[in-house]
Amino acid sequence: ENSPAPLPERAIYGFALFLGSWFGFILYLIWAYVPETWLFSLGLTYWPQKYWAVALPAYLLVAVGIGYILLFGINMMSTAPLNSTHTITDNYAKKQQQKKFQEEAIPALRDIPISEVNRTFFLPEK
Amino acid sequence: MEERPYRSASGAPIALRRRQHSASCRELSVRCPRLQLRSLSAVTSAVWLAAYGLFVLSQNSMVLSAAIFVTLIGLIIYLHFVKIDQESLLVIGSLGIQVTSSYASGKESTTFIEMSQVKDVVINEAIHMQKVIYYLCILLQDPGDPQGVSEVVPLFQSSKPRLDCLVEVYKSCQEILEQRKTAPQSG
Repeated sequence: ENSPAPLPERAIYGFALFLGSWFGFILYLIWAYVPETWLFSLGLTYWPQKYWAVALPAYLLVAVGIGYILLFGINMMSTAPLNSTHTITDNYAKKQQQKKFQEEAIPALRDIPISEVNRTFFLPEK
Repeated sequence: MEERPYRSASGAPIALRRRQHSASCRELSVRCPRLQLRSLSAVTSAVWLAAYGLFVLSQNSMVLSAAIFVTLIGLIIYLHFVKIDQESLLVIGSLGIQVTSSYASGKESTTFIEMSQVKDVVINEAIHMQKVIYYLCILLQDPGDPQGVSEVVPLFQSSKPRLDCLVEVYKSCQEILEQRKTAPQSG
């Protein structure tokens, strides 16, 4: 019941969002460009300062630019350093249970210790 | 005793030297790439050009003498604390593992790990500065848990040899570490 297929309800939501975003955009353009005296003469006096019509997009773009750098920095900070045990194992691997070996069955999935992996990769001469 | 050329992870030439002192004692040293004359002169020229630019703007001759001072002190600090000349690993079968780093100024820093604390010496892969590198490390035994690892000690951090060099070092270490299992436990 969680398929991404188009449904009648989703079409209605999409159209409502489309109309809402167009309305918001036209309102923003009116607020930014129409002189204050004209708006006052219509009786609409309670608007935010026009300074914000320029400041908010500027803030938003700088935030997006800083977000790129911030994400890069967060990724670097959460990478485990070379001397931590998280590069070798984790809680799931420590608590795993060994399943009994059955003849002619595919062995169960498990985390192989790094010593064993190293011996298999690097020790055989051929 | 033999010395073979290899490459570091960044492509600089390094050399691995193996010495077998006895059946259960081996020393493996990796010689790091030397300080390049062109990088030294590039950094010195950049600092002195910047100082000359400041001098032209401010007409204060102290800037020039400060730049010379900074360059000299910076070079001494770099050679004594940062630039590692050679990293060596001495594995003594019944005793332990000794890791020595010698700096370009002659300073040597040594760490010794007793054999009962050493679980294994393995080649691990990890993410380091937007790259995945292989590095050799000593796994220390967790006293409470025979299967557990309490600490990871990375080796050859400054020279960062590539996998072919690491496999040689790994095989040499494993030959000595295997003697632990066959030899009878005493003491």
